Amino acid sequence: MNKLMSIVLAGLVGLMTWSGIATAATEGAKQKVVYHINEDDPKQQTGALRNIQNLINAVGKDNLDLRVVMHGNGVSLVLLPDALGRVKGFKNANADPQMQAAIDALKGQGVAFKVCNNTLTNRKVNRDEDLYMVGAADIVPRGVAELAILQGQGFAYIKP
Amino acid sequence: MKPSDEFELNAFVDGELSADQQAEWLEAMRADPELARQACELGQLKAQIRLAYGSPPQVRRRNADKVRESWRAVAASITLLAVGLVSGWLLHAGNPGEKTANAGRFVVLDADGRGQAPAVAADEETRIVFHLTNADQTVAGELLDEVEGMLNAYAADGHPLRVEVVSHSEGLDLLRESLSGHKERIHQLAMRFSNLTFVACKNTIDRLKVERGIEVKLIPDAEVIDSGVSHVVKRQREGWSYIRV
Repeated sequence: MNKLMSIVLAGLVGLMTWSGIATAATEGAKQKVVYHINEDDPKQQTGALRNIQNLINAVGKDNLDLRVVMHGNGVSLVLLPDALGRVKGFKNANADPQMQAAIDALKGQGVAFKVCNNTLTNRKVNRDEDLYMVGAADIVPRGVAELAILQGQGFAYIKP
Repeated sequence: MKPSDEFELNAFVDGELSADQQAEWLEAMRADPELARQACELGQLKAQIRLAYGSPPQVRRRNADKVRESWRAVAASITLLAVGLVSGWLLHAGNPGEKTANAGRFVVLDADGRGQAPAVAADEETRIVFHLTNADQTVAGELLDEVEGMLNAYAADGHPLRVEVVSHSEGLDLLRESLSGHKERIHQLAMRFSNLTFVACKNTIDRLKVERGIEVKLIPDAEVIDSGVSHVVKRQREGWSYIRV
């Protein structure tokens, strides 16, 4: 049953992504995709970044408008390991040198990494000291609202 | 004829005997016209049954087969539900004035047909469906934080917002009387915000009953929809934002 459900869900997600991308392509505009990250498993996050790179390889960075939106536990993607003692509510801080390199590589290809300000406030995270290369422009007031807004602008939604 | 013979006669008619056994039976029938008549009648009966039912009803079934059968039944019922839901929605879409019960809470049951209107830029209403499939009550709590924050922020700005939280699979725990870690909070939110609805998936409830014998009792603030998956698909088709938790 669970297997059947996962297959159905995977199919739906695939179909939605595909139709979103297809729609964008027919308009001759950039393909817009937002990736939603709210879990703190480093393997899952690494996989998500690889997934994004694969999309770039397939479609080309000039044809894409890619966003990664992090909130809740997902902020661990850019949380520096030495910040773990200072902040509240995080079990993992995954921005080790390897993850930093993966983030840099994607940023270099135009991927924007957006962080939920609400999470930073609630969990006592200092943007300058605790996070890896997150500037004022990378902050969104609410991660969830950002996901809704981007979908309203035609972004395909992917939860890796 | 002894019972074991009757059993073997059936096997003979069905062609399930070995060549040697078959030869024995043919020999016996030559000697016994009554036995030959019985075999002939049985053969005809079976042919009639096959004709009537497509295939003869199975007398004996192993447990594994039954289980597989019930999987198939569940899968088939899901498909039927999905078809029913979609066709019901299509039929209903032409009749937006029809009212349903629970009119104060317009989201799920689509009183006034508002839920059937696709989200268009003109009405500027933000519509979000959260798909909760996680049993972790901490995650569910964070979801409620987000939802409450959004409802407050949008209300303060005067922007219309509608939110549905669809609890499906393991996410159903949030809406179960015995397992929810946030009953009181959900009640408070539901009282404060008429544009917020908590939806439980009936397929999941039925599945818990069939598979584990659990009678699910939902908290009073939960609405029930036939299929959580169909519902979130429908919402996305209508232009809602979708966020999986």
